[in-house]
Amino acid sequence: MTASPGPATAGPATTGPATTDPAPSGLTLSGAATGGTAAALQAALAAENAAIYGYGVVGGQLGTAARNRALRDWTQHEVARDQLEAMLTSLGVKPVAAQPAYQLPFPVHGTSAAISLAGYLEDRVAAAYLGIVALDNSRLRVWAAAQARACALRATTWLGRTAAFPGLSSGSGRAAAAGPSASP
Amino acid sequence: MRADLKRRSMLAATVMTVPLLTAACKGVGGLGTRPKAGPDVAMLQGAIDTEQALIARYRLAIAGSPGLARTLSPLLAQHREHLARLTSMLIEPASPSATPRSSPSSSAPVGNGSDPSATLAGLETAETDAASSLTGRLALAPPALAQLLASIAASEASHALLLRAHGAGG
Repeated sequence: MTASPGPATAGPATTGPATTDPAPSGLTLSGAATGGTAAALQAALAAENAAIYGYGVVGGQLGTAARNRALRDWTQHEVARDQLEAMLTSLGVKPVAAQPAYQLPFPVHGTSAAISLAGYLEDRVAAAYLGIVALDNSRLRVWAAAQARACALRATTWLGRTAAFPGLSSGSGRAAAAGPSASP
Repeated sequence: MRADLKRRSMLAATVMTVPLLTAACKGVGGLGTRPKAGPDVAMLQGAIDTEQALIARYRLAIAGSPGLARTLSPLLAQHREHLARLTSMLIEPASPSATPRSSPSSSAPVGNGSDPSATLAGLETAETDAASSLTGRLALAPPALAQLLASIAASEASHALLLRAHGAGG
């Protein structure tokens, strides 16, 4: 499922993707469409919240250069989170709150596990954005597709390899994916 | 989701198959009125053509620059996965002929094998063009196909990133 042209821990030394895709503004939705739209946006928001928590863990395990990369990606997820919250608010829906802590999918000790976690987080967030791509709103679709693309680019930068089906590869479908699940 | 894809392809294929059978019953003369494919099928066929063109370019690039095989083979394998997933959504054969009907990114140079960095740059452009082409089909696609197109476009954008990194000496 994945291609691995280089060492797993040596990502391409390129600058990361520029992800300043503006959120679709002036969202106009019929009442009937709002329920599904809100659910998909909430799922993406939950995934972004989990990723933001996860990147904090990632950054804590890395040296300076890689930690700066994690910080940059962390910031991009915060921007996306803010956009999702604004969209939900404009629909009259209360955005889901971040959990104080999240259960990690595997123990994260050291650089290699931290990089694996970053790749995992990006795939889960991409999966949630594909849930928005399934909506009928074409502007939201295009925006969410750009977000999924940004996730794939960040994952490739971390892992040094590409996936054939970002966001679809782990088989757990679409909007249900929210990264690490909340712990009590 | 997979079941959903299959159901959609069944529906799409039904639209195409019934008129073809009707045409067959009329004898050879009826074959002249080949039905137009529905919009879903046409969109899918466009994406299939894009993947076939990319596969052809990668094969050519690897043949011309065997030193790049280690870099390019995993990417070629992923394009074959893309093609297989897209083709599985059609019940009809992907195309009347086995060769791509069009080459959407044929304007980009593929490199002639003597210059690996030019080959990488040509492929990077082709990947970027393919991702844009798939993204451009998103708005009108049915939901499950839109998700698949978005995922494949994301994959191809990451291919371009990797090719750029290798081209830069990474």
